[in-house]
Amino acid sequence: MVSEAAESRSESVATTVRDLVRATGGGLLVGLPLLFTLEMWAHSFLLPSWKIVVLIGVAFVVVVGYTAVSGFRRERSWIELLIDSVETMGIAAVVATVALLLLGRVGLETGLRDAVGKIALEMIPVAFGVSLAGTQFASPDDDPEDAADQGSTVADGNGAGPFARLFIAAGAALLFALNIAPTEEPMLLGVEAAWWLLLLVIPATLAVTFAVVFYADFRGGRSLESGDGPLDRPLTETLAAYAVSLLVSLLLLWSFGRTDGASWSAIVGQTIMLAVVASFGAAAGRLLIGGGGQQQEAS
Amino acid sequence: MRQNWLEWVVLGVSLAAIAGLVGFLVVDGLTDAGRPPKPVITLQTDAAYGVSEGWILPAMATNEGDEAAEALALRATATVDGVEEESEVTIDYLPAGTDVEFSFGFSGRPEGAVTVSIVGFRLP
Repeated sequence: MVSEAAESRSESVATTVRDLVRATGGGLLVGLPLLFTLEMWAHSFLLPSWKIVVLIGVAFVVVVGYTAVSGFRRERSWIELLIDSVETMGIAAVVATVALLLLGRVGLETGLRDAVGKIALEMIPVAFGVSLAGTQFASPDDDPEDAADQGSTVADGNGAGPFARLFIAAGAALLFALNIAPTEEPMLLGVEAAWWLLLLVIPATLAVTFAVVFYADFRGGRSLESGDGPLDRPLTETLAAYAVSLLVSLLLLWSFGRTDGASWSAIVGQTIMLAVVASFGAAAGRLLIGGGGQQQEAS
Repeated sequence: MRQNWLEWVVLGVSLAAIAGLVGFLVVDGLTDAGRPPKPVITLQTDAAYGVSEGWILPAMATNEGDEAAEALALRATATVDGVEEESEVTIDYLPAGTDVEFSFGFSGRPEGAVTVSIVGFRLP
């Protein structure tokens, strides 16, 4: 009996180690592009401390959301969800610190505030990756059967409702646009674009995302049939996802100080240009969770 | 809920890391008086050395203000062989509290003191 218990304990340690490795892998997969982005390093000291704290708070809420929807652990209480999310942020902080040390972005000559700012900012994309990698440390039923389920998503079986789809669209938009938002390019594109160019970009963005989700026959794509609710129609869903993408873009631009002192037309231009990327992410996110009952059953 | 010691370690380290990062930033934010950038330049005359093109004078820039300075332009003036010479250096970013090492260059070993002045910088 004793040796059996010890054996299962060492097995559970091995599972935890594997979870940690998977978390690190997922974190790096999403975080590496921004770990290699000059503007992210500079923003660590250009942004005021309170703003970095706010961004970490927002990131934590998003991580809770990602963890909840990528939750293969169906019987998870709120407290467990929170603990998992705290661990996600903690792992991300450690991964970001080690990566920044190895890349020579943080060293002995770096001021403490600068170093903390860099780690705090870079841990955000890493945390998104960690939460998507689906770490599940506190699983009460961490058995092999459960492990087999790990690729599953919220859309399991019965499909996501329109609001869950929009939430996932927002999460995916954030994830995708985050890679572009800190750079100077959206600012240049937005500021230099003529008004008629911006007016062309909006329908072009809508057309592409509409086609990708409802027409291109990607796996997870959907037919043009309308559902019952107002957001269950292809056109309204596309518009709603675009609105969400605009909001996410604006939030990102504000986060990186691109709206500070900018004129209204500059803010609108930047938001529309960044929303091209964000709405494509939103479309990809909706593809990933698939359409609904029929599609899931068919596959 | 936690199944093994490693999960407890992960939770402990996570809580410590988050509390440390957020705590530091909150304290920093509260004690930040918003002082403008205050670049301080220290010349390392002892570490100066000659090269075939002239004389290299290492220096260190620190920022004793609370805000970062961007594109900080510095000018050093010295007398070399009886002629006054200027050397200009631009530092991309000088964050608060961070040391940046750089060097001024002259055509030869300066006679007497080297004076440094700040040409200007951008606020982020």
